[in-house]
Amino acid sequence: MKTELTLKTDRLVLRPLQRSDLDAVLGYYALPEVQRYLDWKARDRFEAKAAFEAMRKQTRLTRPGDIITFAIVRRVDGTLMGHVSLRWTDATAAQGEVRFAMAPTYRRQGYGTEAVRAMLDFGFTQHRLHRIFAVTAGGNTPSIGLLQNLGMRLEAHYREHALFMGEWDEEMHFAMLEQEWRRGAMPYRAVRNKVA
Amino acid sequence: MTQVPLPLSAQFVPAYPLLTARLCLRPFTRADVDAVYSFRSREDVARYLLDDAMSHEQCAEAVRMRTGQFAFTSEGDKILVAVERREDGRLIGELALIWRSVADQQAEIGFILHPDAHGQGYATEGATALLDFAFATAGMHRVYARCDARNRASAAVMERLGMRREAHLREHTQVKGRWDEELVYAILDREWAERRSR
Repeated sequence: MKTELTLKTDRLVLRPLQRSDLDAVLGYYALPEVQRYLDWKARDRFEAKAAFEAMRKQTRLTRPGDIITFAIVRRVDGTLMGHVSLRWTDATAAQGEVRFAMAPTYRRQGYGTEAVRAMLDFGFTQHRLHRIFAVTAGGNTPSIGLLQNLGMRLEAHYREHALFMGEWDEEMHFAMLEQEWRRGAMPYRAVRNKVA
Repeated sequence: MTQVPLPLSAQFVPAYPLLTARLCLRPFTRADVDAVYSFRSREDVARYLLDDAMSHEQCAEAVRMRTGQFAFTSEGDKILVAVERREDGRLIGELALIWRSVADQQAEIGFILHPDAHGQGYATEGATALLDFAFATAGMHRVYARCDARNRASAAVMERLGMRREAHLREHTQVKGRWDEELVYAILDREWAERRSR
């Protein structure tokens, strides 16, 4: 019998996406404010559905390169508010990358922080990762705040190292090591432009 | 100065030899093997490099490859120049410029000096000439450099060049059997131009 991987927090259940989640995900996936910072862009419903289907299949980390994606579901009423994923980027060095997206309606209530924290816990304790990182655009203040609140270090602040849709980008990398997680990382206030 | 046969489709090539106040930057020749071995064989030089200390044979092979690496034709190409001290003609090190991205106009610069030539500003002087080429001739938008976080001398050169520390990566990979700690410095074309105009 195949057991489904599920994570529980105070207010959330993180579980694999199901076919019946399609409408809920499409509800936020194509919104400009969500699209802006997504890696997998969707220009229309067709592309968004393709992205959803890909995420629905990301149910386990078997080999490097694999991604596991969870729906972020509010326990009190079963509302699907967003999704969070962990990509196993390097097996030898035990590295992973966390990504997340939240519907704008459900932001600013700490759900994202709670979900990403659960993902960090999963990555470090269940999957024995040595380092977990997250990449965010320089202008994405809410995400930057979320990652800092979890105690992640600003490891990189790349300026204009790639063109993105005709404009120079600004990319920030946050990271945490397993030993920092174990010791209970405190919220980290990065001095902007100054790498830790 | 010997004529260098250009690759047929070379897009950007330095006007060799690049002369600075005290240095001459030029393509490698097979006569450089012993000089390269004099610093590439040393543990104290290899300590902060991705490469291990090299044997004479490995240096000969490296130099053989470098005799063809002196121009930018396509993405991934490396320009590897010998750094010669003008006053005595001694080969004191090497400089590298790697074309990391054509679309994003990004290059990486690197430098290795013989320890006897440390502390005299040669790396800064040579890198300045190569950065002039990268920005003014090859049209790069951004040039970055990486070093081991423990390699303070290298980081100091990057800072003296006006580069900004953009990353301090900890334990993101293993190098030579131990956790790596890496600094990334970078500078943009407009920042370099502003510096050079002062």
